[in-house]
Amino acid sequence: MRLSRSSSLVLSLPWLVTFILFWLFPLLYSLIMGFSDYRLLATDFNWIGWDNYRELLADDNFLSALKNTFVFVLGTIPVTTVIALALALLVSRSFRGRGLFRAGFFLPSVTSMVVIALIFTNLYQRGGYIALLARFAGLSPPEHGFLFDRATALYSIMAMDVWMSVGYYMLIFLAGLKAIPDELYEAAELNGAGWWRRFWSITLPLLRPVALFIIVINSIKSFQVFVEIFVMTKGKFDTATAVYFIYEQGLQTQFRFGYASAAAYLLFVIIAVFSILQFVLLRRRRALW
Amino acid sequence: MVTSSRTGINLLRYVGLGLILVVMSYPLLWMFRVSIMDVAGSVAGSGWLAGGFTLGNYIDLITQAGLGRNLFNSALVGLSVTLGNIVFCFMTGYSLARFRMLSNKLLFVTVIVVLMIPAHIIIIPLYVLMMKTGLYDSYWALILPFLVNPIGIFLIKQYVETIPPSMEEAARMDGASDLRILFTIVMPLCRPALAVLAIQVFFTNWNSFLFPFILTSSDDLRTLPVALAMMQGHQAVDWPHLMAGSAIAVLPVLLVFIILQRQIVSGITAGAVKQ
Repeated sequence: MRLSRSSSLVLSLPWLVTFILFWLFPLLYSLIMGFSDYRLLATDFNWIGWDNYRELLADDNFLSALKNTFVFVLGTIPVTTVIALALALLVSRSFRGRGLFRAGFFLPSVTSMVVIALIFTNLYQRGGYIALLARFAGLSPPEHGFLFDRATALYSIMAMDVWMSVGYYMLIFLAGLKAIPDELYEAAELNGAGWWRRFWSITLPLLRPVALFIIVINSIKSFQVFVEIFVMTKGKFDTATAVYFIYEQGLQTQFRFGYASAAAYLLFVIIAVFSILQFVLLRRRRALW
Repeated sequence: MVTSSRTGINLLRYVGLGLILVVMSYPLLWMFRVSIMDVAGSVAGSGWLAGGFTLGNYIDLITQAGLGRNLFNSALVGLSVTLGNIVFCFMTGYSLARFRMLSNKLLFVTVIVVLMIPAHIIIIPLYVLMMKTGLYDSYWALILPFLVNPIGIFLIKQYVETIPPSMEEAARMDGASDLRILFTIVMPLCRPALAVLAIQVFFTNWNSFLFPFILTSSDDLRTLPVALAMMQGHQAVDWPHLMAGSAIAVLPVLLVFIILQRQIVSGITAGAVKQ
């Protein structure tokens, strides 16, 4: 094309400015802050090397926040992925009323997290509907409600998260299912393969890239869980997660910008390593299915 | 015999799907139910029929609690950000799709990098930046950083690549300027992709909590989700009013979702399957 470099530059200028001001600069700035004791109202940066990182690794609050984050990620992702796939399989063939079911399953994921968290705070409270349900199933619900008990609070939030996001990942699985050619199934059927065999030998292997995509984006999102914790428990009852810790240290009580930035970078590294690991494991090894 | 077992299986499927649908829609239905309860009559776990019926909670919120202001803030910020994204994602996406040169490859790298960076890492520096520039606690803080986003750029780039460049070339032969070609010829052709982009950006912004929460402090500037989260934090929980506020936040999304379901779904699955 005849268009010049300068035209292209002009067109990209809004993005470039946004990128530099609101992404590149903050990224570098927090990297630098992580090596300083900078805090609110401090007049200058004091270079303290790796001290923040050393302190973090010895900080029980940070370590328990990391533990909770891992419990959250490792607990929700397999469940969400399996349920999303099951839902997708249930509504993939055309039948009367399919649109209603699809929309109904998907609806929670377009709703605001704050609103969902508020509704579930109500459902989980003492004497609320979920306690009623638990009693109906013969279990004894926690005395002060599910969110006010160390044994159940984090798991209750995780369950809500699964409930909220399965519809979204169901849609992505559905798109993946649509991309599998029908001829494969027809050929398998002619050769006498039953439903289970077709699922195991055609559907699952061909869905692997989609599943990988889902697991990776869901992990990145789940490692950053914050809003539901803030709304439902304020980090109490052993529910504080890594981003909640960052918020607490940096913006709520202490305003230790340096310390919080170091924590954010550590979490960033963990997310990166985790994503790369998922890619390597799920891409290469076939035995995983 | 065969047909009867078929209908049996069909019935089983509908019962199963129906049960799942109940589980998936129950919380939102409960929200609407609580939102029209009399404050006095509502206690924990009160049934669907207890608690009375009133629309007063909604009226209270708008007239007394000032939720109208929060609604206005959400709409203003949401519309500004959406408009910005339509124009700016389109410009950058178009540039990425049509010009192949080294600088453009670098540009594409910036888009991919930002796509992969977890947002939590810019919370603290963005807060400090807004403080230092005096933009903290203003509409600008809620709008400026979000006027263009990498996912949107990606979406437009992919769409423009499916449009043959012959029309643009013909227009250029006729002496039309670059800007004119861009906005009067290419942009109308991209309407489906722009619609998807607009819906996605608006919803994300409308529902967003973290950044509006961190970048503002005064009551007057709170968006709806922030206001709701704060309402819950302060006094003993007043569920009917809280759920009415939640319903106000959900209703626009619900309406648009029902009307534009197809666009929303295509926006979500657009990038997913190719990768």
